[in-house]
Amino acid sequence: MTLELLLGMVMAALAGTVLYTILGIIPGTDETAVIAPVTLALVLLGIEPIFVFTFFMAAITAHKVTDSVPVAVAGIPGGVMAAPMVEHAVQFKKHGQADLSIRKMASGSVVGTLVAVPISFLFAWVLMPVADWVQNYAGPLFFFGTIILALLAKNRLVSLVAIIPFMLLVQGLRHLYWATGVVPEGRNVFTSFFLGITIGPVIVTLLELMNKDKRERMNRFPQRIISLTKQKRKMGMPNPFKILTIKETILSGLASLIGSITFILSAVGTTTLIGELFSNFEQDRLKKSSLAIACMEALANATYISGILIPLIAFGIPFSSVSLGPGLPLFQAPPVFDENYNMHHALTIQEIFISTLVGAGIALFITYYLVVKYSREISAFVFKWIPHEAIIGLFVGLVFLLGYIDAGWINIAGVLLVSIVAGSLHRLGVSFGVLFMALYSAPWFMTLFG
Amino acid sequence: MEKGVSGLEKHNQTEDQAKFIEVWEDLVSIKDLFLSILITASSTMIGYFLAHDQEPLPLFFGLTGALLGFVISSVLFKPKRTINIEDEV
Repeated sequence: MTLELLLGMVMAALAGTVLYTILGIIPGTDETAVIAPVTLALVLLGIEPIFVFTFFMAAITAHKVTDSVPVAVAGIPGGVMAAPMVEHAVQFKKHGQADLSIRKMASGSVVGTLVAVPISFLFAWVLMPVADWVQNYAGPLFFFGTIILALLAKNRLVSLVAIIPFMLLVQGLRHLYWATGVVPEGRNVFTSFFLGITIGPVIVTLLELMNKDKRERMNRFPQRIISLTKQKRKMGMPNPFKILTIKETILSGLASLIGSITFILSAVGTTTLIGELFSNFEQDRLKKSSLAIACMEALANATYISGILIPLIAFGIPFSSVSLGPGLPLFQAPPVFDENYNMHHALTIQEIFISTLVGAGIALFITYYLVVKYSREISAFVFKWIPHEAIIGLFVGLVFLLGYIDAGWINIAGVLLVSIVAGSLHRLGVSFGVLFMALYSAPWFMTLFG
Repeated sequence: MEKGVSGLEKHNQTEDQAKFIEVWEDLVSIKDLFLSILITASSTMIGYFLAHDQEPLPLFFGLTGALLGFVISSVLFKPKRTINIEDEV
């Protein structure tokens, strides 16, 4: 490891931290939609894999820590992952203790990261002997994974019904592109379809706006009033283990352990389930919320880290909801990464370990400091200067770009079609996880016929 | 789609003020939204074609175009949020 390499990794970690500290705070930004396209762009630009991975680890850590800031200061979730915490954070805000809930969250993140990194490496090592088997049966495993994910979902019936038609849509478009020669035969259009799924709900809403009746019947709101609570400024760098009580430290550690082991499952689902379960260890309303916040944040962080590290180290196949979401470009980014050569093959375990330490470490240190000290100022800046329109515009722009790169102009309409279907299915209650898995297992599934 | 925001936007609601719609869990004005998309999509594709056929520059230029569109939209359009700073209770 040369000094130059280390310096590059530090720069990558800083870039990921700064970008996702801002994006994390913006309300409504889904992890997959904001992290995946940028990571993908870095991979396609031909940036050294080790830098991309360090950037990615910093990005998910920073986004995870900061997406709970608006929950604490304004009661608005900064991302999908922060939604389960709203109810508890509001308790603190009501008592005028928004700063305390931020401290509890940030400390929970520290616990989650400290537990998840060693556990992930250990668990990946345990799973390595079955890696060959998993790789050989990736197609069927993914298909059954899709079914299981659908069965575990809240709306299981509609999720199950949606799987095969959605696979047909994706494979149908791919074969049409091959038949017309838009894409060379055998190359799977992947990236732009993937992005099409993530922005599906937005596209459906945009199309509804084009229908006069729907537009007029849509709910209208005046300017949203966001109340931020003034914080007491405290000196120095607070110790996370002093902010958490012993009970909170132990239970959030335990929650992180559970989160790491259940890495395959959806992070939001596990967070809600375990967080609510553990919070029952306290009776007092505020203490209960404090415990819930610490545990949820710890667990969410742990699920994120292990969800990316375990499949990456052990299999080289995106076998978890996190690696199928924000982390997917580390596994699939044709023509740079595919099933046969991706981040798993590009980096050694030592490199993954060092990147994780540098990326997650720097992001955690900086965001912890910023969040504990300046959460109100950062939130006020983002709320005041970043219009939501600009963010949506940015994603639509990225979809145009990646859609064109994948298969030319016609694919913009192709991605639009995927978005309309995915967005409508999402509204019907089908989760992104099921759709991503279906996209991934469609080629294998279609080999069963004909 | 509308989780966790109840109560916050209900303040001072009168008929003529209520003109924004909710997309992706935050409020937008329809006109600004379509203009933003138009600006960013065009700047992205213009960026891409400026460096056509000189791999991997098109992607880089395209991304720069996307970022430029984002900055232009941020300057042109105001966020539909009012910030209130409260003192601690």
